Amino acid sequence: MNDQEQNAVSNSAQVNKEKPKQGFNFLMIGSGQMFTAMIISGFIVGYFIDYLLSTTPIFMLICGVLGMIGGAQKVQHMVNRMDKQSTKDVNNG
Amino acid sequence: MSAEKPSSVEYIQHHLQNNYVGSGFWTFHLDTIIVSAMLGMLIIGVAAYVGRRLETGVPGGLQNFIESILDFVDKTVRESFPYRNPLIVPLALTIFLWVWLMNFMDLIPIDFFPYMFQLLTGNPDAYLKIVPTTDLNTTLALALVVFALVIYYNVKFKGFVGYMKVFLFHPFGKFLIPVNIVMTFIEEIAKPISLALRLFGNIFAGELVFMLIALIGGTMAVGAAALFWAPLQAILDLGWAIFHILIITLQAFIFMVLTIVYLAMAHDEAH
Repeated sequence: MNDQEQNAVSNSAQVNKEKPKQGFNFLMIGSGQMFTAMIISGFIVGYFIDYLLSTTPIFMLICGVLGMIGGAQKVQHMVNRMDKQSTKDVNNG
Repeated sequence: MSAEKPSSVEYIQHHLQNNYVGSGFWTFHLDTIIVSAMLGMLIIGVAAYVGRRLETGVPGGLQNFIESILDFVDKTVRESFPYRNPLIVPLALTIFLWVWLMNFMDLIPIDFFPYMFQLLTGNPDAYLKIVPTTDLNTTLALALVVFALVIYYNVKFKGFVGYMKVFLFHPFGKFLIPVNIVMTFIEEIAKPISLALRLFGNIFAGELVFMLIALIGGTMAVGAAALFWAPLQAILDLGWAIFHILIITLQAFIFMVLTIVYLAMAHDEAH
């Protein structure tokens, strides 16, 4: 990477901030998998905490439930964002 | 496989077994590593070949084809990545092409390469699994590289303290910090897991269907019955192969797009 490119990368957070973030709509493609992946990761994280603290299966269950809540919350957040965007698009014609 | 005809279960089990060396944690799936490396080299080779023969006027067929893929990836990045980073388009292009080619190996007749390999080695039980994306190690490795980049750009643009604040105060504010840490950690871990499992699951399921279709001719065709089962196998195989072209392209596209979106989120200071 030359100097110009490195500057472009380091300044990228300040560049094009006003542009619409259409790409986030692509997240909807994986919303279902994200929900299940959150539950699976909850169990994995819980398993490792239990492994460290020798408390099997307490944290696995707690983190599994937290993963499910987090997954539902994340999907709802994504759907809300999509909904707002669609409403905005309809209002703008 | 042994000389006598394998049962349906043996046939499927044989096709699900990688050719490996080592054991335990240090097991290396040689077929996965070699095939994915060869496909990577194919991309580099074709890119180098076309790069040396670039035409500025009317481009030839191959250059035209590659330019159309490049335009497609560039357009997708412009639509979904609102920042400027010269790494993103090459990364997205590499992921799309490499994942697509690895998925494409699923369309080669399922017994062709394993049978050739068995003839070549003289071992009728030799294992060979030529679709790298039906190996969870490949998809998880790809997803972990993307995850490492996401963490890198999160720390780069939010700062280490800013990134830690996401763990401390998201999603329930400052009064539930222990819960926030666990939930954000789960959320971050879910990104590579969902990326890896989606690709692996889709391609693995596709390959299983190919195996089941292959079994129609393999186990049911005896004598005159073959006149019915063999054409049925050919028709089903062709239909599934045509449908599978859509699946492999879609999965490569989804992997690429989600990589871009996760990196865009990492560039977002406010997120």
